[in-house]
Formats: sequence, C-alpha cells, structure tokens
Amino acid sequence: MSESVMHSGWWLWLAFFLAALATHIPRGSFIVAGSRAKLPAGLQRALRYAPAAALAALVMPDVLLISGELQIANPKLLATIAVFVVATRWRNAWLPFIAGMAVLWLFKF
Amino acid sequence: MNIAFRQGAREGFLHYLPLSVGLIPWALVTGVAMRGAGFSVLEAMGMNCIVFAGTAQLGTLPLIVIGAPMWMILATALALNLRFVIFSAAIAPAFEGVSRWRRILSGYLLTDGVFATCSPRMLASTDKDWRLGYYLGPSIWCWLLWQVVTLIGVLGSSVLPTNWSLDFMASIALMVLLVPIVASRPMLVAALAAGATAVTLHDLPLKLGLIAAIFVGIAAGFVGERWIADDSTKDVAL
Repeated sequence: MSESVMHSGWWLWLAFFLAALATHIPRGSFIVAGSRAKLPAGLQRALRYAPAAALAALVMPDVLLISGELQIANPKLLATIAVFVVATRWRNAWLPFIAGMAVLWLFKF
Repeated sequence: MNIAFRQGAREGFLHYLPLSVGLIPWALVTGVAMRGAGFSVLEAMGMNCIVFAGTAQLGTLPLIVIGAPMWMILATALALNLRFVIFSAAIAPAFEGVSRWRRILSGYLLTDGVFATCSPRMLASTDKDWRLGYYLGPSIWCWLLWQVVTLIGVLGSSVLPTNWSLDFMASIALMVLLVPIVASRPMLVAALAAGATAVTLHDLPLKLGLIAAIFVGIAAGFVGERWIADDSTKDVAL
C-alpha cells in the first residue's frame, strides 16, 4: 500500500461520524418526523416510482458500461437477460443468481 | 412483542432472505476496501456500525485516505444518500402510531433492499404491529449479515479471489427486485427513463447522475401513468 496522508485517531472517527450523520438524517427524515410532516398526495403517488427508478439507475450503468464506455455486446448484458428470463418464468429465488453468474462466467472466460 | 409483530417479522424475513444474498459480495468488497485504506479492524468495524451504508462507506473512503476536508466528506456522503429522503417519505405512512425510539431505530436500519422488498406490503397493511415486524425482521437480519460478512472481508482481505466478478451478484439482487415491479407499464417507463439517464450522466461527480436519474424516472412514471390512462380511455371510446 502506498503511503497515505490519512490522519488517525479522533480525525478518523470524526469523519465516520459525519458520514453517519449524512446517512441517518436522510434515512430517518420522514420516518421519524412521521405524521407531522406529510408530503402532498401527488408527490406521494409520484414516489411510488422511486424504487423502480432507483433500482434501474443502479443496475443499468453497471450492465451497459465497461470501464466508463457504453458497450452493448458484453457478458454482463447476456447475464442480465438470463436473470430476467429466469426471474419471470420461475418463482425460485436462488435460480436468477445461479443462471446470471453461470452465463457471466461462461462468456467471460 | 405481540403475535402480529412476530408473524410480520417472520414473513418479512422469509420474503427478504433470498435477496439478502446480494449483500454478501457488497459486504466483502466493503470490508476489503476499508482494510486497503489502512483502517485497523476496530476502525473498520466502527465505521461499519455507525455508518452502516455500503455506498456511503465505499464513496467516502478515497476522500478519507487522502485526508480531504471534512465538508467534502459530508457533502459526498449526503449526495450518495439523498435517495433515502425519497425512500423515507415513501415508507413513512407505515410507521404511523409507532413510538419515537422505534422510528429512530427504523430510520437507522433503512436500506435499499428492505425498502424495495417490504414497502409495498407494509403500506397495504392496516395492522401497525405486523407492519413494524415486517420491517424490523428483515432489517435486523440485513444488519447482522452485513456486519458478519464485512468482518469476514476485513479479516480475510488478502485471500479472497478478485477475478470472479462476485460483485455482479449485487446487481443480480437489484434486478430480481426490479422484475416484478416493472410488470406495470408506467413502472417500466420509469425504470427505462431512469436507467437511460443514469447511463448518460455516469460521468457526473459524486454520483449526482444517480440522483438525477431517480428524479427523471419518477417524472417519467408519473407522465407515463397519465399518458397510458388516456390511451386506454380512447380504446374504450373506439
């Protein structure tokens, strides 16, 4: 490992504390404020799309970008197709992992 | 802890269990990365307990290593976690009637996986004890699994294979969550718009592209909902 200028002791724990604040204030915001802070009904309805949007936004760059470049023909996309086919056809929860990793390894090596 | 709570906890745990597999590679990678940054075992596990967020931990590590200013560490972690404000608002109605301390605990335990898996059924249930169990059961399992597997990563950082692409299991877990959600057309529109935006804006710093993509996806779903509804009324008219 190269020499780092990382501080130690209290500096490091302060950094952890700040990262924790920046995590738990967003997480707790509406759960803790509860019924005193209500979002408008329209916004609440729009938020139903948040999980689909967030999941796709996390997955698609990982599948379509190879070291930062758009690459349609790649083993990860083939593995993704396998995962979607298996997950749509069968209810078994472990099968998508087995199929996805098998296709990835098959086309990678 | 009454019967409804325990039953909810069991159902939530069983619902989430297969998907929690996706945490394993993430936790291993996070453990290895913290050791690589030069943390002691105590420091690594301390960060893992108080931050408890893979993306925020991995995202702030490079800044901590170079001794970056505190505001930059705070701003980066905030940008990575803004999505939780949306999740927190969406799931908040399910915590109606729950005590303040349990809500604080629930906020600390909020993760992408449990939110995506459990929020639809929580919001549909009318029993507040069942809802809390259905949330805390999988959340506590998620916390335990995350801590144990990260510890394995921290302790075994030198012997794990790096060329097996095991991190792709995290993406598979997210896809498995996505499949049933995109069965409705507005949801599919939201997912495709968000995904395309995230791919287009992947060069933006601090993962801001991810946040922009979430907003675009939500807007696209909302627009798509009205558009598709209009379309079907036209069909009826014909």
